[in-house]
Amino acid sequence: MPQAPEPEKLDVVALVDTAERELAAAATEQALREVHARYGGREGAIKRAVQAAINAAPKDRKREVGQVGNAALQRIEGAFEARLRSLGDEARTRDLARTVDVTLPGRSHRPGHLHPITHARRAIERIFAQLGFTLATGPQVETDFHNFEALAMPPDHPARDMQDTFYLANSDLLLRTHTSPVQIRTMLAQRPPVRVICPGTVYRRDDDPTHSPMFHQVEGLLVDEQVTFADLKGVLLHFARAFFGPATTVRLRPSFFPFTEPSAEFDLSCVFCAGAGCRTCKNTGWIEVGGAGMVDPEVFRHVDYDSERYTGFAFGFGIDRMAMLKYRISDIRLLYEGDHRLLEQFP
Amino acid sequence: MKVSVNWLRELLDGLAATDSEIAARLTAAGLEVEGETRLGAGLSGVIVAEVRETRRHPKADKLTLVDVFDGHEVTQVVCGAPNVPAPGGKVVWARPGATLPNGITLAPKEVRGVLSPGMLCAEDELGLGASHEGILILDSDAAPGADAAALLGLPDTILELNVTPNRPDCLGHLGVARELTALFPGARLRPLSADLEPWLSEGPVTELATVTLEDAEGCPRYTARVLLGVKVGQSPLPVRLRLQSLGVRAINDVVDATNLGLLETGHPLHAFDLDRLAGHAIVVRRARPGEPITTLDGQERALTGDDLAICDAERPVAIAGVMGGRHSEVGPATTRILLESAHFAGPRIRRTARRLGLHSEASQRFERGTDPNDGVTLSSLRCARRIALSTGARIARGAIDRYPHPIDPRAIVLRPDRTERLLGTPVSPSEQARILTSLGLTCEGDEGPLRCLVPTFRPDLTREIDLIEEVARVHGYDRVPATLPRATGVGGAPDPAAEAADSARDALWALGLAETLSFAFIAPERIAALGFTDGRSDPLLLQNPLREEQSALRTSLLPGLLAALQHNLSRGVADVALFEIGTTFRRRPRAPQAVSGASCSEGGFAAEDARTCEGKGEPLPDERQMVAGVLSGRRGGWLKPGAELDFSDVKGVVEGLLDRCRIPGTTFRAATSDEAPFFHPGLRAALTVESNGDTALGVLGELHPALRERLGIALPAFAFELDLAPFSTAAPTVMGPLARFPGSSRDSSFFVDAAIPAAAIQAAIVRASLLVESVHIREDYREPGRVPPGKKGLLWSIHYRAPDRTLTDDEVNADHARVMDALKAEFQVDTR
Ligand SMILES: [Zn+2]
Repeated sequence: MPQAPEPEKLDVVALVDTAERELAAAATEQALREVHARYGGREGAIKRAVQAAINAAPKDRKREVGQVGNAALQRIEGAFEARLRSLGDEARTRDLARTVDVTLPGRSHRPGHLHPITHARRAIERIFAQLGFTLATGPQVETDFHNFEALAMPPDHPARDMQDTFYLANSDLLLRTHTSPVQIRTMLAQRPPVRVICPGTVYRRDDDPTHSPMFHQVEGLLVDEQVTFADLKGVLLHFARAFFGPATTVRLRPSFFPFTEPSAEFDLSCVFCAGAGCRTCKNTGWIEVGGAGMVDPEVFRHVDYDSERYTGFAFGFGIDRMAMLKYRISDIRLLYEGDHRLLEQFP
Repeated sequence: MKVSVNWLRELLDGLAATDSEIAARLTAAGLEVEGETRLGAGLSGVIVAEVRETRRHPKADKLTLVDVFDGHEVTQVVCGAPNVPAPGGKVVWARPGATLPNGITLAPKEVRGVLSPGMLCAEDELGLGASHEGILILDSDAAPGADAAALLGLPDTILELNVTPNRPDCLGHLGVARELTALFPGARLRPLSADLEPWLSEGPVTELATVTLEDAEGCPRYTARVLLGVKVGQSPLPVRLRLQSLGVRAINDVVDATNLGLLETGHPLHAFDLDRLAGHAIVVRRARPGEPITTLDGQERALTGDDLAICDAERPVAIAGVMGGRHSEVGPATTRILLESAHFAGPRIRRTARRLGLHSEASQRFERGTDPNDGVTLSSLRCARRIALSTGARIARGAIDRYPHPIDPRAIVLRPDRTERLLGTPVSPSEQARILTSLGLTCEGDEGPLRCLVPTFRPDLTREIDLIEEVARVHGYDRVPATLPRATGVGGAPDPAAEAADSARDALWALGLAETLSFAFIAPERIAALGFTDGRSDPLLLQNPLREEQSALRTSLLPGLLAALQHNLSRGVADVALFEIGTTFRRRPRAPQAVSGASCSEGGFAAEDARTCEGKGEPLPDERQMVAGVLSGRRGGWLKPGAELDFSDVKGVVEGLLDRCRIPGTTFRAATSDEAPFFHPGLRAALTVESNGDTALGVLGELHPALRERLGIALPAFAFELDLAPFSTAAPTVMGPLARFPGSSRDSSFFVDAAIPAAAIQAAIVRASLLVESVHIREDYREPGRVPPGKKGLLWSIHYRAPDRTLTDDEVNADHARVMDALKAEFQVDTR
């Protein structure tokens, strides 16, 4: 006589089938774990069904029913693990399928922009700092003494015509025409050795496409024993190469400034045509950028330095001009308009 | 100054150098050649031709057929110029085969059916200038067949020299030629003929005129010569062309002679019509205040007591060294001339020229310093000779010479080794002596110091260093090597203010703002528009601004930033975030006279030297470095459309700046109208910093709508301006403890009276708690419906932690309860 299947056994088998189907259909890890918790494990439906079947089974069959139940639980665990693995694989595959249009702009967390004059000034300051020059600053509204007289330009000196000056109304004060007053203030305040650069805003009563009534200048001053004109040349050459590149050359041409002697104009080989001649350098291959020279003994007299013991050199050039040359800025007036479209071109 | 290379060559022997070499060496020696114009370059085969007969061209009204004679034969040439001279006139004929400066070689050419062998030339065709008004008419004494180029002084090169103010000697060809003798060993100056003998008249000059020198300080030397029987006419064409090429207008042969004299020696001369001088007298004196004179340019001018006047017996006839008077001007009717050659004191001439705005060729030279010795006498002799040569005048014997205190050549000792030590390169003593000698100095001494005598045409050489410079520049700067200075000691002290400014720059850069710079002088009304109620409303003004809108020194950076904002908006840039770091200027009160010296040194920069202030009582202004910014438009980004900026953006920028610059003890509070009248009354804050009591650091806020409307700024704009001074005393950075035990957070949400500032609640939390580590506000909401009227909802997150143990939940709950009790007690917060 065929043995009829025990009803409890049928219940477990059906449950296992359902559980296996649901595990295989779980679309997410969370859903999978919920299905697993519902059927498998100590609290699950299968365990409960197996327990109920054992309880209901005759004594001699309890063992057999228990074995069937354990096998069912193991199947569920196996199915769960397999589905978990396959879900993980699917997720990894999906993750790796993600793409982005790398040409889209990034989310904006961008820094702003520093003015080209700041870039140029910092580069200049760094180069001279490496040569041991420290920074010195001074007021922009100056006395006639610091701006002219102490620089060997007494009243009615023809050289005063070289620098058209803004004066303050109802006063003898003026807007400094160069940062040389800072040199005077530095020398009045300390004894040699002096090795400073003086960057700052200066003013001249000039207004055309290449001159702005306000601009920036940096002057350097080195006073010590045994300072020579050759040293001046070496420092300017070092600067020019560090700022514009190692192929740059420097030319000193005799000139006249009341506060230096010998005096020189300071020319750079043209940064646009490398000396071949172009419109910017008027086909000379040279660009005039500043003035330089050995400090005049008359200046030392005003600051009470012994010109027999100490010699020194001074130089000065426009930061605006350096920035314009380096960054190819066409018109000096653009530097003072605050136009975002220009400023944004600088980091 | 313009110089003719041909003229230089006329003054020199042994100069074997091309025009270009001359230009290059002059530049390298400090006489910068700023321009070179070649006149008649490539011109050849042009001759003088005499017009014999003229006929109209049969087919063209505007063309003339000209029979020209070249000394041998007569040829017919076609000419299109309107000014063909009558028979006997001399013209320039470019025959077939002739070459013109424009590169064209002439060939016979048919002009409207008539064959023309070459052409008659205009100035521009000869490379003489731009004039094409007609053909060039030569002087009547030109010989037919002669080389026209040689006659016209072609080819020539005109050099435009930039003569520095210390070199008055190079404002004449003679000085430049002397310079060339130093630059080109072998070149020597030719002696200049000053012989008047052939033209001398019977009587001595003293019978014809008198000179009284009353102001020897203003005029150390005055000389006069008299010329008789002058017939004023036109200068010969070569003279007129030479003057023209040097930028001087030819007037008549007498005035032209004085101008040639000025261009030759660099010494200005003046010719008076002797018969227009009352009493035939010259009196050199200070002008009387208000004394009038009509100058050569036709202007009536009033003189002052500082002006030096050349007068006749009655009135001023010239402003000494600046400009002659119209009344005594030499004209066609003049027959007797008084020729002035004088030395005037530079500073006096300069003051007069500046005051009158009259900068003449003469004043420019006297200002810089003329030669009282040879300059005065040689130029007088040369000029008298020239006038006699061209006008047929006779010259009265002798000169009147008033020179009460002769000026001697200066003696200077030069130590050749000092030159070498200063230059950092060897230059032999003999080479140094050669250079100085070629410049006109006399030098003595073989070994050791050179004793040098400086001629008076070099007023710029007064000290040893001046001679060293002469040696250096003639020797050549390019022959000095480039070395680096030896390093000794420390060059100077650090500059905390500059470093602080750069830190602020970096901070604002990192916060996304762009740096701008604007002029320190602005329109006064731009300052007034901000409505300052303190000293900032009264800016310092410039005495001589370029224009009204640049006449006031800024007392704030905001006007410049707002102008930049307007500039950007007008160019379609709507999202603006700018900052500027710069100096502002405020008046300091004028100190009482007695202590003016002390007042100069107070605060800011010191005017160390009492000389700078004494008697003037004008203290330097209070210069303050400020940092300011302006924001307008939308927040950056594209992923989410940018939201409009609000107050929190500008505050965030200021907080970021303070964080970076590590300024401790700053406090924000609502600003008053006096502190920031230009901001919206409900959206403005003042920032203070604790240092010896609270110091105002600056303000921030939203621009007042009325001001915005006035400036045409459509969207809200936000701004801040802070004083940078406290930034340079930033707190040093020191590492603090790192927490070792975990903490615990509690969030707290409640309603509270809307007027209570968040900072007050935060302070109360910190006060009440024993364990608080940090307090953060997470939300501030006020929407009607979400909160009861007059209240706001706040959400806080408070973090508790103990440094020495892990806190239990009970401890944290107890402390949090303490906090909430305190808030209820102090602010009646409602935690429902
Ligand atoms: Zn170039």
